[in-house]
Amino acid sequence: YILTVSMPLDCKEEPGSLTRCPSISQEKLLDRVIHHAELIYRVSEESCSLFEEMFIPLPLRLQSNQAGFACITKTLPIPSSKSEIEQISDKWLLHSVLMLVQSWIEPLVYLQTTLDRYDNAPEMLVNKTKWVSEKLVSLEQGVVALIKKMLDEGTFTTTYNEQGLFQYDTLPDMLESVMRDYTLLSCFKKDAHKMETFLKLLKCRQADKYNCA
Amino acid sequence: MTKVGEVLLLLLLPAFVPHTDGTRYSLPGKPTEIKCRSPEKETFTCWWKPGSDGGLPTTYALYYRKEGSDVVHECPDYHTAGKNSCFFNKNDTVIWVSYNITVVATNALGKTYSDPVDIDVVYIVKPHPPEKLEVTVMKDQGWPFLRVSWEPPRKADTRSGWITLIYELRVKLEEEESEWENHVAGQQKMFNIFSLRSGGTYLIQVRCKPDHGFWSEWSSTSYVKVPECKTSSVWILILVFSAFILLILIWLIHMNSHSLKHCMLPPVPGPKIKGFDKQLLKSGKSDEVFSALVVSDFPPTTSNYEDLLVEYLEVYVPEQQELMVDEGKDHDGCLKSIGSASDSDSGRGSCDSDNLLMDKSGAAKEEQQQQNQEGDQIGTETQGPKEAWEKETMLCANEDVVSPDASSKKVKTWPSVFSPVTPYSPSPLDPHNSLEMHKQNCLSDTQFPPGSPSSDHCIKKALQSSYWEVCFNNNQPYPQTDVHQQLQAHSDRNISAINDGNVPSNLLLPTRMTEYVEVQRLNEENKVLLHPIPSGHSREKACSWVGHRDNYSKVKGVNSDNVLLLQRDVVEEESMEMAGAAESCYTSSIAINTPKPTTCSHIALPVQEERVLAVSGYVDTATMFSLDTYVNEMKPVASKANTV
Repeated sequence: YILTVSMPLDCKEEPGSLTRCPSISQEKLLDRVIHHAELIYRVSEESCSLFEEMFIPLPLRLQSNQAGFACITKTLPIPSSKSEIEQISDKWLLHSVLMLVQSWIEPLVYLQTTLDRYDNAPEMLVNKTKWVSEKLVSLEQGVVALIKKMLDEGTFTTTYNEQGLFQYDTLPDMLESVMRDYTLLSCFKKDAHKMETFLKLLKCRQADKYNCA
Repeated sequence: MTKVGEVLLLLLLPAFVPHTDGTRYSLPGKPTEIKCRSPEKETFTCWWKPGSDGGLPTTYALYYRKEGSDVVHECPDYHTAGKNSCFFNKNDTVIWVSYNITVVATNALGKTYSDPVDIDVVYIVKPHPPEKLEVTVMKDQGWPFLRVSWEPPRKADTRSGWITLIYELRVKLEEEESEWENHVAGQQKMFNIFSLRSGGTYLIQVRCKPDHGFWSEWSSTSYVKVPECKTSSVWILILVFSAFILLILIWLIHMNSHSLKHCMLPPVPGPKIKGFDKQLLKSGKSDEVFSALVVSDFPPTTSNYEDLLVEYLEVYVPEQQELMVDEGKDHDGCLKSIGSASDSDSGRGSCDSDNLLMDKSGAAKEEQQQQNQEGDQIGTETQGPKEAWEKETMLCANEDVVSPDASSKKVKTWPSVFSPVTPYSPSPLDPHNSLEMHKQNCLSDTQFPPGSPSSDHCIKKALQSSYWEVCFNNNQPYPQTDVHQQLQAHSDRNISAINDGNVPSNLLLPTRMTEYVEVQRLNEENKVLLHPIPSGHSREKACSWVGHRDNYSKVKGVNSDNVLLLQRDVVEEESMEMAGAAESCYTSSIAINTPKPTTCSHIALPVQEERVLAVSGYVDTATMFSLDTYVNEMKPVASKANTV
């Protein structure tokens, strides 16, 4: 299991940075971004499984949407069917990815803190959660760079977290709290998959550069 | 009443019916094992397992509810996917959305709900197996390999990147006990298989899996036969044939091994030394071994001595000098004793030369010592010259002399008799003069058979010491002439030389002679005159050194080894006379005069040997042999060997 694989996205252009990153090709950048997304998804999937085994009783599994905790990104205008996705442009694909990434940065930080409250949270779960949180930030930077390259747009740092998707309510009920955390992990896993899929679609859309057939 | 009765009948009818049938109706069993799969992440199908039908016709219905919505929908398609299935087409499929699916079984009695199942299409992807599996045999530098290629399942949209598939194939030989060999091909759609068995038939299958999903089923099997190696059979035939021939050859050689061995490796003659016993050598007793080596009849044994001995050699030990008395007596005694012992015919003449020599050597030493002690004359001076003499010991040995007589080898040794190293000093001789004189007295040695090759012995006799120097030969570089003259002049020398008389006798003894030397007389100077007694020839001369054809009455010389060498010479009348004039027979002079060249090879031998003689008591064969070699060497120098 690769937790230590870190693929830093070069040329993260930061405003005000004096040093100029060496330029990287668009293909390589896209590949690296995709690798990031793949890794994030894999780690999130493992984390969710771990959490489910530890804390979720059997009858309540796979019923994340029943607890009333919808995914925080539900409100985001993200297409969810293939036909729809095929129709949206590259720009919207990238922006969708960016939205997702930025939406999840903060909840993951929260998740790390909540896991500390658990008495017997396995260390691996904690580490993975932490790792994912870090990688998400890198992914954001990569996507931003990619947008700049591919779409030739200026950097915009507007985060979608400002929408306040996430509520930091501390629930009195332990079960409810656990369920909420579980929902959180599940949703993040799903969104990670979304990101990966979008990016792969984007990659195969590049004509004559990839042999996705 | 009738109405109630009808109702009762109606109510009872079902009760009666089952009784007649024997079955009971019940609610349908709960459908279980709901499984949904999506082949391409665009559509999906759910299957369920129905429970018991409860005896009544049961219908099944699937209802689903999407995540975040409470609207319940029913399965749009129950037929496409077969029985007990529900097919969701593209329009009904939403990814990243959970579906809550429930199957309901309905029969006349009621409905039964299954347990709900939440699925997300993304996670239930199980593609179809890959298609168009093709296998071809290709060659890589003569070695065959399989190239397997396939296509992704038709419906999987890998082109847009919607779904990413990884492939896996497996290979197996068409044999009962062979097992599948799996290879992961990644995302590529082509794969090479090496290390094939020629002539074998292989089975190949391939399957795929999305990056997050389930493995597909194995594709249909593809058969391929690897061609056989063409050359193998031919080579095997050749190998077998050659092996067969090789076996036959080996068998033939084995049959004829013996004769072949003789032909190719002829037996090497082993060295064999007569009388040499390997076992003795191994035992480490060298004495025994070498004793065996010693030829029994070499040096000549006593039995042969008689042949060699000069029967009639009479040597009188002069009683002249007192000094010599002892010596002479010793010698004489020795002589006598020996003579008596050895030969019954003659007097002292026939002495066992062997014994004689031994005693002589011993005596010589003693005499020498005595002489040294007694004689003032014999002082340092004598010793000096003595030494000089020693060094100058001349051996005149003809090759023939040294070389074995044709008759016997023994002649070889014996001719060189001791030179009497006796300290006999010819008293009459002035020691000083002795130096000059080089006494070279030639004693003819009649002992040598006429037929034998002439041997020129030069016996040097040291006058003062016991060296005799009797040397004469025309060819000798040595002052033979001088000797000759000296001989003539100094007649006494001769006899003195003879005196130690043993020497000549010794010299003469070992040789096999037909002639003999007879001591004519002993002059007042205690000189023994030897003259040969030729057979069939008469000599009137006093000194009848008969100038016989083969006259061995000359004493060639005495070497340092106390070996008296007799020289054969052809003496003529004149020489005889000359000798006679000298009143002593100097055969040497005669020899010198003879035109016939006589080979006299002076051999200067290093002084050794009194010691040698003393030890052995007889002429050391080794020295003799060395003499021989010397003679041979001198041969070219000197005039040619004389063989008359």
